[in-house]
Amino acid sequence: MSRTLVVAEAALRELLRRRTVLVILLLMPLAFYLSRRGDHLGQSIRFVCLGLAWALSTAALFAGSAARGIEPRLRLSGYGSRHLVLGRLLALWTVGVLLSTPYFLLVLADQRDVRYGAIALIMALTVFVSVPFGLLLSAVLPRELEGTLVLLTVVGLQMVMNPAGSATRALPFWFSRELATYAVDHTDGGYLTRGLIHGLVFGVALTVLVVAAAAVRLRQRRHLRLAI
Amino acid sequence: MNHEPWLAALTGELRRHGVGPDLTGHVVAEAATHLLDSGESPLRVFGAPETYARAVVDSLGGPDVRPPRRQPGPVRLAARGITKRYRGRTVLDRVDLTVRAGQIAAVVGANGAGKSTFLRICAGLLSPDAGTVEVHGTLGYCPQDGGTAEFLSADEHFVLIGAGRGLGRAEARRTGRAEASGLAWTPPRRTQARHLSGGTRQKLNLVLARLGEPDVLLLDEPYQGFDRGTYLDFWHEVWRWRDAGKAVVVVTHLLNQLDRVDVVLDLSGERAA
Repeated sequence: MSRTLVVAEAALRELLRRRTVLVILLLMPLAFYLSRRGDHLGQSIRFVCLGLAWALSTAALFAGSAARGIEPRLRLSGYGSRHLVLGRLLALWTVGVLLSTPYFLLVLADQRDVRYGAIALIMALTVFVSVPFGLLLSAVLPRELEGTLVLLTVVGLQMVMNPAGSATRALPFWFSRELATYAVDHTDGGYLTRGLIHGLVFGVALTVLVVAAAAVRLRQRRHLRLAI
Repeated sequence: MNHEPWLAALTGELRRHGVGPDLTGHVVAEAATHLLDSGESPLRVFGAPETYARAVVDSLGGPDVRPPRRQPGPVRLAARGITKRYRGRTVLDRVDLTVRAGQIAAVVGANGAGKSTFLRICAGLLSPDAGTVEVHGTLGYCPQDGGTAEFLSADEHFVLIGAGRGLGRAEARRTGRAEASGLAWTPPRRTQARHLSGGTRQKLNLVLARLGEPDVLLLDEPYQGFDRGTYLDFWHEVWRWRDAGKAVVVVTHLLNQLDRVDVVLDLSGERAA
């Protein structure tokens, strides 16, 4: 556990020192929120969550790509791939919580007659899903530009596709629409259940895939026999 | 930047000091590579041509004050039959290398001969098409570039790598700073790696490879960007590690040091171990 925490601490330090990036990350969801504030109440909430998802996934994508240079050395220095990936997940989830808290407070201050608990749940699930999603993209697509383009495509599709269609359920942030409907329109618990299950399944599946991808990439090669 | 006048002057100085044409060619080529990589002024990196030529001659012919070599110990690294192909081209063909405790092995060869590939295979970072590597002990690896985190300071690197080796924070920092002093470097407390010069970042890279005193050290041209003094310090450190019973593998094209290593693996022609 201590190795995981050391990796998390180092990753957190790295992220917090990219001040310009942090400012942009912080402002991006605000732009999404303000762009739809004059529309239907739920739209601004849905869009702020998509903004958070986009910002966090992008941060995770770039953090994952930046770590590629040092991870083989860390592996050789005695870290297991699980220490590296869990430490990074922990750091990014922490950043996600720090990033989404002001937006929850904004909704709390700016919106009336909504289910605040459900909105907190959307943001928590958004943080939970976005981080492994960005890290998985960085694992599968080592070049940042390719990963960014895929990210753009996914979030863009999330915005333009008909949310009632079954195809949108294959997208990682579909849960936010279901939960936002529950939170704003006071619909029945079916929306809450569907959204919760979707977010949890995607979050867990993406996390497992990230851990697996790191285990494969940083595995001990078969030709090397270590006798310590 | 045009380095030709400085390189021509260095060639002349080396000849004046009686250095043979082959060695002169190697030294000049090495200096040219450094200058190209670092983009810095030759006067800043190496000093005046005459001064640098004299230093080279001193390093070749100066008295050897190192303690006598001990008998090599048990085998620490044994690479057998390493073969690697890239897109149909065979880069490494059944390469063998055995390094014992208390030995330095130099891996030499032209650009593209597969030196770095071989080292990455030895480190387990790359799979060969055939062959095996046995390592008896712990491994330390210094890559040619990269291997550091841009936004972390030297002390934070020591803590990060040290934790993997089982060192506590204070011990990792103390050990890292002690290793750095061997390269005449005092790491600044807060400066992030991205603000270090190329040569200083390589010092950090080298110190990180040494943290926890691994039994086998794999060093991939770790002296990129080093100035002359640091370069000489580096070789003194390598000899010290050898004398402490470590097995050291250095990728190099600095042939003027080959008489001071124990094993030479030449990847440009005949394979030898």
